[in-house]
Amino acid sequence: MAEELMEQLDNHTAFVIPILGGIPVPDSCVVTWIIMAALVLLSIIFTRKLKKVPTGSQCILEAFMDFLDNFFINILGEKGRKYVQILETFIIYIGVSNIIGVFGFVPPTKDINVTAGLAGMAIILVQASFIIEKGPLKWAKSFLNPINLLDLVTRPLSLCMRLFGNVLGAFVVMELIKHVVPGGVPVIASAYFDLFDGLLQAYVFAFLTSLYMAEALEEEEHEGKKVKKAKKKPQLHGGK
Amino acid sequence: MGIIALGAAVAVLTGAGAGIGIGLATAKATESIARQPEAKGDIRTALLLGCALAEATAIYGFVIALLIILSLGGK
Repeated sequence: MAEELMEQLDNHTAFVIPILGGIPVPDSCVVTWIIMAALVLLSIIFTRKLKKVPTGSQCILEAFMDFLDNFFINILGEKGRKYVQILETFIIYIGVSNIIGVFGFVPPTKDINVTAGLAGMAIILVQASFIIEKGPLKWAKSFLNPINLLDLVTRPLSLCMRLFGNVLGAFVVMELIKHVVPGGVPVIASAYFDLFDGLLQAYVFAFLTSLYMAEALEEEEHEGKKVKKAKKKPQLHGGK
Repeated sequence: MGIIALGAAVAVLTGAGAGIGIGLATAKATESIARQPEAKGDIRTALLLGCALAEATAIYGFVIALLIILSLGGK
């Protein structure tokens, strides 16, 4: 039992590219290619015949994209509109790779190297947006505060470990449940651990990245912030 | 192996802290929804974020426990 579980935890090598003394390609990479292909194909299919007045599947697509757009612009502010696309890419890719276990693939996010790569990309994105918005001088100056320097290490580490630990934890619990009760119960448990938890973690990852980014985008203008907050409140009460 | 298993078990005890933290956060969230039902959406977002952050400590414990078993208990 324990050995079986340990074997499941290992990252298998799918095949080896026979150049430069052999480059091993892990399973997670192959599944990522499959996800990329599927997403690109879906995007092409859904955006092929776009109309001014949406009908059918275009309605669903537009509602989904509107939801994501509004979600990120609410956090980043109107200034961060140009960074919304990459955050949406993050949330869609992580969401799909977390729930792909349902279709019988090994989730790529179970490999710590994938989550480490994602977290590294996220933190580079945050720093890059800081430099673009405020210039390299202010960026270098921000590291006079040692906490900011520490954040550079702790933030990607916690992003990486949170995603990896959650996916791995769900995977281990699912394996244990399958071992104890082979029929019926795993289906219900899978709905929670694979679908709900997977989507929640994708949401949390993108949410935290955009929060860090919002901090980088509008740290200094305290006056502008206050005005915005005052404006926001009555809107909220009126809306609900 | 016995003492290594014990070490892993101690690492997983972090789950208790996360449980208490999420429980407290949820209690406060229900309270504030009861007091101000119109702010439901905002409260839910904040609660979800807080829960994810509190849950992270439990996850770290789990990862550490796994690392203990994998790196020390392997051979």
